[in-house]
Amino acid sequence: MSAPPSPEPSFDEKTMAREEPSSRAPKLSRPEHDASCHGPQGRDEVREARGKPLVALVGRPNSGKSSLYNAVTGARAHVGNFPGITVDILEADLTLPGGIDVSMADLPGFYTLESVIDPATDEGIARRVLDRALEEERRLLVVQVIDATQLALGLRLTRELAARPFRLLVVVSQCDILEGQGRALDKAALSDSIGAPVLAVSARDPQTSAKVREAAARALEANDPLREKPAWEPDALARKVVSDVASASAAARRRRELTARADRWLLHPLLGPVLFLGLMALVFAAVFLVADPTTNALDAGIGALGSRVSKLLGGGLLGSFVSDGLLGGAGTVLAFMPQIVILTVAMELLEASGYLARGAFLVDRLLRLLGLSGRSFVPLLMGHACAVPAISATRIVRDPRERLTTILVLPLMTCSARIPTYALVLTTFFPAGNALFKACIFVGLYFAGILSGLVASLVLRRTATRGRTLPLVLEMPAYRAPQPRVIARQSMSAALRFLREIGTSILAASAILWVLLTIPAPGASSRIEPQDAATSAASSASASSSTSTEPARTLVLERSVGAMVGRALEPLTSPVGFDWRINAGLIGSFGARELMVSTMGIIYGIEDVSDDPAPLSTRMRTTKKLDGSPAYTVRTGLALLAFFLFACQCMSTVAAIRRETKSIRWPAFVLAYTYAIAYAAALIVYQVSGFLGVG
Amino acid sequence: MSASSPLFLGETQVGQTVRVLALELEPDFVEWLRAVGIHEGERVTVLRRALFGGPIHVRTGSGGEFALNRQLARSIRVAHLEPEVRA
Repeated sequence: MSAPPSPEPSFDEKTMAREEPSSRAPKLSRPEHDASCHGPQGRDEVREARGKPLVALVGRPNSGKSSLYNAVTGARAHVGNFPGITVDILEADLTLPGGIDVSMADLPGFYTLESVIDPATDEGIARRVLDRALEEERRLLVVQVIDATQLALGLRLTRELAARPFRLLVVVSQCDILEGQGRALDKAALSDSIGAPVLAVSARDPQTSAKVREAAARALEANDPLREKPAWEPDALARKVVSDVASASAAARRRRELTARADRWLLHPLLGPVLFLGLMALVFAAVFLVADPTTNALDAGIGALGSRVSKLLGGGLLGSFVSDGLLGGAGTVLAFMPQIVILTVAMELLEASGYLARGAFLVDRLLRLLGLSGRSFVPLLMGHACAVPAISATRIVRDPRERLTTILVLPLMTCSARIPTYALVLTTFFPAGNALFKACIFVGLYFAGILSGLVASLVLRRTATRGRTLPLVLEMPAYRAPQPRVIARQSMSAALRFLREIGTSILAASAILWVLLTIPAPGASSRIEPQDAATSAASSASASSSTSTEPARTLVLERSVGAMVGRALEPLTSPVGFDWRINAGLIGSFGARELMVSTMGIIYGIEDVSDDPAPLSTRMRTTKKLDGSPAYTVRTGLALLAFFLFACQCMSTVAAIRRETKSIRWPAFVLAYTYAIAYAAALIVYQVSGFLGVG
Repeated sequence: MSASSPLFLGETQVGQTVRVLALELEPDFVEWLRAVGIHEGERVTVLRRALFGGPIHVRTGSGGEFALNRQLARSIRVAHLEPEVRA
């Protein structure tokens, strides 16, 4: 592992700490914000001059907040612009009854505004949003969502909110479940006690959105609150307002027993982990089974579009730029979409059902050995399909240092984009190996990825990301039936955000790579070595599927800046067995690993190499050096596998890390350390295998 | 309610119900845990423990269920109470 970027990088203050340390100061409780200092009148005068009123949705994690947000805002959510807040907060513009235009923001789930342990945690972020709205004297309505079945816990936060100088609306969710338990909520008594309006809703009530909008409009129109320190106790109030309407309710007992019975099996010390891992294996089987055909269909569609564009624009530079550069890049982005959608659906299902927290409980001990916690498990697992959504998923990790560690090691997980490259290398260099042998290599590569990630996190937690760890408190929510509508909407929005945010950087990288691999290097024609020219001539003559443009493309690439760089890198890469072609392939695959195959295809003048790497592997096997010895051997293959195992050859991942850490230092660090390990691993594999006499 | 000699949550047996006496942590953690629902005076029932010193699964008197890691559980001083009648 390379050294961390600085001896003592303070992640909190410099990266995800989201700029100001002042968020530690309890701004919200400053006396000048108290309503007693601002008459309702005074505030009325200023407020109209400010932006749209903000309706901030807050609550503990698992309180049903996101379901409510989805129900009220529909598909209009966009990432809000909150200055100084670097975590995306979903926001939607709404018109409430009475014609009031507002922005509704879904803040991260949090437990308290008073005890912010760290400004980078969800508490810190939520407090900053509310602070900012108060500072800007924006009209602010805080809508707290409380799970009716855990009223006492939710009321702790209510008590904090009720002491603040903003309007408050309490929405008690899951009332249907409460009723199912044979209990009833006295809304009026609750509202009287806390001094704010209370609305009771049920997840399956189609009128929920309308009711919330109406209540929000009324609350916004109400006079500014005159707050006093609440005198009520959460536990006592919860006991007072919830009464057993049918104390002998069989349904209530059955529900409790069901959860206890499910936990007896699902959290069983031995059976629990086995079931959890089995379920995870199923999720991944689904990703591969469903994503593969969809990805192929997308590829085919984009390929067809590309050839149509080529025909339309001619075979010139412009046509190549649009079809190879831009559409090729778009294809890379779109190929991730099915996986992202499937993974999001799976993770949302697990999360909404309450099982995800159980999974974290089961694997926490294992990850603690490595300085992580059970919460990191899901992102690390998701990283096996694609690091990009996994990096977003690290938001479920509360501890900022643990979250950063998880982000930094995620590129080491064996994502699905590595598979085409592994397949090419295996087909090329181990043609005699049977399916079992290849399967074993694949499994070995997966385990090597996991192991390297674990070792890296162990090292990082003691160097770059060392520091105070927050105590693990994992809320174990009751089991619930997920709502298909909410899950569909979450998946759609994950897919769209991925397209928008990662798509742009992929397109830019594709365009740059196209330029590198197309624009001729100065004086390039004289640089082609005799054996290269011979190879390309032979390849174009022997390939039965060749078209007349292939030798031309091959020559273009051989003369390109990319090939020049590839040749310039040969002194560095020859100890690991790579020649300029592989170097150019590595440059081509910097954007995305799977492009290694197509770049090598271009070098050898083979089209449609993604569909069938067999001709390419034959061509690579038969490539000779000047002295007639094979250019690539099994050792080259092993070294390539070792290189791809560690190198962060993925622009989308780099872009996602940049986005989540709001710094260029951490993506640069990831590139540096993964390439250093990759090179070292390839060097060791190549040299040791040579020493052992591997062909 | 038979209070015995103080012990830590990490040392309790599955099925035991205890009352939290003190949290031996930094003050900001103590405050944060109070907001979460784990604080002095709260009744806590130990539901299960994960293997190999993994987290412990508890239910608090306020109705929340939490997994706390052992390190944290070893910082929470508790006293025994009679076992809960209903699990």
